Amino acid sequence: MMKLIRKVQVKNSLGLHTRPATVIVQLLQQSASRVSFTYRRETINARSLLSILMLAASKDARLTITVEGEDADAQQTMSRLVDAFENSFGENGNYGYQC
Amino acid sequence: MYKVQDLYKEHGNKLSLKLVAGEGGMQRRIMVPEAQRPGLSLSGYLKNHAAKRILIFGKVEIEYLRDLKPAVRRSRLKKILFDMTPAIIVARNYRAPEELIMLCDDQNIPLLRTSMQTMDLLSRLTLLLMEAFAPTVSCYGTLVEVFGVGVLIRGDSSVGKSEAALGLIERGHRLVSDDIVKVKRREGNHLEGCGAELTRHHLEIRGIGIINVAHLHGVVCVRDTKRVDVVVKLEAWDDHAFYDRVGLDEKFCDILGVKVPFHVLPVKPGRDVVLLLETIALNHRLKDMGYNSAKEFNTKLLEMIAFKKETRAEK
Repeated sequence: MMKLIRKVQVKNSLGLHTRPATVIVQLLQQSASRVSFTYRRETINARSLLSILMLAASKDARLTITVEGEDADAQQTMSRLVDAFENSFGENGNYGYQC
Repeated sequence: MYKVQDLYKEHGNKLSLKLVAGEGGMQRRIMVPEAQRPGLSLSGYLKNHAAKRILIFGKVEIEYLRDLKPAVRRSRLKKILFDMTPAIIVARNYRAPEELIMLCDDQNIPLLRTSMQTMDLLSRLTLLLMEAFAPTVSCYGTLVEVFGVGVLIRGDSSVGKSEAALGLIERGHRLVSDDIVKVKRREGNHLEGCGAELTRHHLEIRGIGIINVAHLHGVVCVRDTKRVDVVVKLEAWDDHAFYDRVGLDEKFCDILGVKVPFHVLPVKPGRDVVLLLETIALNHRLKDMGYNSAKEFNTKLLEMIAFKKETRAEK
């Protein structure tokens, strides 16, 4: 068991809106670790869509990701999450939501 | 961190507050949820003067200050104002003495005025401050009012909390918050739960998406806050686990130091979770009224055994 903590920044222009939140929830379905996000002294369960939306994190917001679980799973989950944040959840940084 | 500005913004209208001087100090921190009339301190007795409290000037304070000579008035006022003093409120719409206005502007201490009566202001302000300072925790779960009982449904992700809530709403119960519940410990040692402003009254149902319960089922199906009376943990049925079969031992869980009745409810196909939650709520009400079904049954059983023993002995 291990606990990983990392800070990430929201890079897509529309912030953590419904689509990125869905990406996160979907991504976590493959993981067995316990994942939480902390933003503005609010810690939430990252598997819950509504909780992520509740944060209403805008562009450039800094979130802390905490992953607790089996070593390999925790590491993989963390790197996937960080990648998703880094890649702006597959959204175009300038135009935001793409239909 | 609670600031004077927060108090002014959130409750300024309620307390009919108007800013008179010391605007630069609106960012001052309120460190304790207390307010005080500085009567004795104004007379020069400063032993044990609580500098962190909000000062309230009522009729007595203002009249007393008026009776003093300007120089004395200034020096007495200066002595009761500290760096820690969050704000000063003058009640009954009294005009604050010139010296007080000048001192507040100099030291950047917000000076506010209200038309409220002093005692009324003091009690309402204390209540509002107590509320703002109440310990709060965010719980992962769904809060529903079932037959007037606040049931906090907890459990792992995708165990069926939101579906249970939807079923309860459909039967006429009320949703407070889904997924994340902000629980506050209120005076009188009880817990109050509410939802986040943005996600309030929304449910996320897998396969459907986000729905607004207030729009779908009407405002009668939602409420903003509710006391947390019972905590129910839903968990996947485990054939090897031993679940409570009698209900004689009451379990509790601890939230912010308050003990709340706690039930573990195993879920499997064929078990009507909604009905079970309703039963837990009703049973809780019955227990609250002093009737414990399990205990009553046990007493009856013990009486029966004792009676049989007696009749056997007689024979």
